[in-house]
Amino acid sequence: MVTLVRPANEETIMTHYSSQRRAYLTLVLISLFCLMPFFWVVLAAFDPKASQFLQIPDGITVNHFWNLLANESGVRWVLNSVGIVGTATFLTLILAGFGGYALSRTQAWWKRPLLYAIILVRIVPPPALIVPVYKVMLFLNDWINGVINSLTSDVAQQMLLSRMFSFVDGYLGLILIQTAMQLPLAIWIMKTFFDAIPKDYEEAAALDGASQWQTVRHVLIPLALPGFAAAGLFAFINAWGDFLMPLMFTSSPELQTLPLGMFRAFLRVDAIDYGFLTALAVIYTLPAVIAFAFARKFLTQTFSGGVKG
Amino acid sequence: MSQIELINIKKNYMGTEVVKGIDVTINEGEFAVIVGPSGCGKSTLLRMIAGLEDISSGELKIGGKLMNNVSPDQREIAMVFQSYALYPHMTVAENIGFALALKKTDKAEINRRVLEAAKMLELEHLLERKPAALSGGQRQRVAIGRAIVKRPKVILFDEPLSNLDAKLRVQMRTELMRLHREFGSTIVYVTHDQVEAMTMAQKIIVLNNGHVAQMGKPMDLYRDPENTFVAQFIGVPKMNLLRGNLQADVFTLQSGQKLQLDCGYSDGVNLQLGVRPEHLKLELLAQGSGSENNSEHSWTVDVVERLGVESFIHLCNAARDVLVLRLEGDCDLQVDSKVAVRFDCSHCYLFNDAGVRLLPNSAAMHLAG
Ligand SMILES: Nc1ncnc2c1ncn2[C@@H]1O[C@H](COP(=O)(O)OP(=O)(O)OP(=O)(O)O)[C@@H](O)[C@H]1O
Ligand SMILES: [Mg+2]
Repeated sequence: MVTLVRPANEETIMTHYSSQRRAYLTLVLISLFCLMPFFWVVLAAFDPKASQFLQIPDGITVNHFWNLLANESGVRWVLNSVGIVGTATFLTLILAGFGGYALSRTQAWWKRPLLYAIILVRIVPPPALIVPVYKVMLFLNDWINGVINSLTSDVAQQMLLSRMFSFVDGYLGLILIQTAMQLPLAIWIMKTFFDAIPKDYEEAAALDGASQWQTVRHVLIPLALPGFAAAGLFAFINAWGDFLMPLMFTSSPELQTLPLGMFRAFLRVDAIDYGFLTALAVIYTLPAVIAFAFARKFLTQTFSGGVKG
Repeated sequence: MSQIELINIKKNYMGTEVVKGIDVTINEGEFAVIVGPSGCGKSTLLRMIAGLEDISSGELKIGGKLMNNVSPDQREIAMVFQSYALYPHMTVAENIGFALALKKTDKAEINRRVLEAAKMLELEHLLERKPAALSGGQRQRVAIGRAIVKRPKVILFDEPLSNLDAKLRVQMRTELMRLHREFGSTIVYVTHDQVEAMTMAQKIIVLNNGHVAQMGKPMDLYRDPENTFVAQFIGVPKMNLLRGNLQADVFTLQSGQKLQLDCGYSDGVNLQLGVRPEHLKLELLAQGSGSENNSEHSWTVDVVERLGVESFIHLCNAARDVLVLRLEGDCDLQVDSKVAVRFDCSHCYLFNDAGVRLLPNSAAMHLAG
């Protein structure tokens, strides 16, 4: 037989290319459309005459940022957010480390029920939890304020302590709530991670003379680092983006977090300052990006080759 | 002092008894090998000595001190794991030096001793690598290095050579014996390979189903097995066992073949005669002698295994008894040909139906007296 397979002729190649080009063009248009809001946010944040329309700025200014940080309570909001979310993430990691390890190693009959109960907390929509949680927090709040009042009679000191340790409208309450919200997923991530770390390493460390703490410090934590990075990243980003809990549990302006500040700025009765809002959005986005960049290094780290088989 | 004493040690896993009362003493500086088939409780026993498993009942003493409730990091024991369990995030040098670093040994001293261990195990060029970048044999040597670097008085090995190829295994065997000579540590070595046990051990502990089947020096176990389990476990190929009855020092096989045993055993029925392949002699039957085909003395060649140095002949007889027989060098036997076998009575063992060794009356009297 003579060969029937021939190189495609000029025409078919052309149609092939042009159909591909059309596909790419469509994709580019769609992605431009999706990226538009981001362009707008970044451009407007530096635009002296920012408006609600996407426009090429006449010049570049950092006035919006300056205004936000110096004249408004921007610094305070950022510090509140970083402090609350950072502490909550840290607490989440510690608790999830212990909890995940215990749940991974135990053989007890309640292991499975407990695991599902934990994830159930995550499945319930947060607004459904507001009323009961608020009730509990209010109860605890009365108690802690009683304690504070009995500790000191100096009103200024009482105010300060109450700000720090109140369960409602105080830092402690916000931190605990954020921790509790992020904990279920973090425990699951850590449990899965510890499942993949054979017990042999711990046994080898014990025979090398390592105490329990030394085993944790030199063997378990380094091996679980990618797990901690993943759990920490999720916890940080989720808590950072949370709007509902700060809204419910704070009333004082000094306690406002970034998303609350942004929301209230947007609702002001006078004309909306788009430059201000977009600058706020940029600042709000940055930590999440930084957290991701930081975690990425550990996320990709994998360990293998320690045990055979 | 680093004598290890096990006194009636037992282990239960949720009601099932896995180790069923073990009494063993391993002397200071002794190379003891625990050997037995898969699942007989070897690892469990070793892990109890290490402190990684609770002891359900009984006493464990190391150097005269009761160790039952001492945590593994306080026992000053080193262990080489069945899975090497090298720390994957540490380099070879860090792996080997970890135990020293934990004791806050000073850096220069750690380096010196790690290097010393690495030299001994030919690992110097690998010190900066991570375990993932090592071959099985190299990982094995790192695991051994990690165990010897702290100069422990007791080292436990759990089937350390089972993942290596045959050549490396032979090499590591001699290496381990040399290490033992140099350090003089007490070694407890677990394996399911009786060749490793025979070649390395000063004392073999044969474990069967959670019990000690027998223990003693390798050649004592070979010469004087106390039961059919040990008789068949020690020695390759395993000892032949033939059922039959004994009357007036004549052992009658199921096929009717009669063997004269000269040492004065008590009569009995349904006994087992044990004889090793190396203690059997082959006699060719004279061709065409007429009686050869249905003679109770004739055996049929089933399989011939030629290894060069030696050959193993698998035989069977009319009563479906099977025998393996060892010949020096090559042989020109054909499958299905008929042969006769001469039993060397001075190397025959007698076991009862339950597999317990029977002794000739003279010996029994000697023992009783
Ligand atoms: N955690 C456990 N729970 C229940 N049974 C167990 C447990 N660990 C071991 N066993 C049982 O104990 C018995 C002895 O196990 P062990 O690991 O000591 O065997 P082994 O002699 O080391 O075998 P191998 O040569 O295959 O390593 C086995 O029957 C095993 O099923
Ligand atoms: Mg084992």
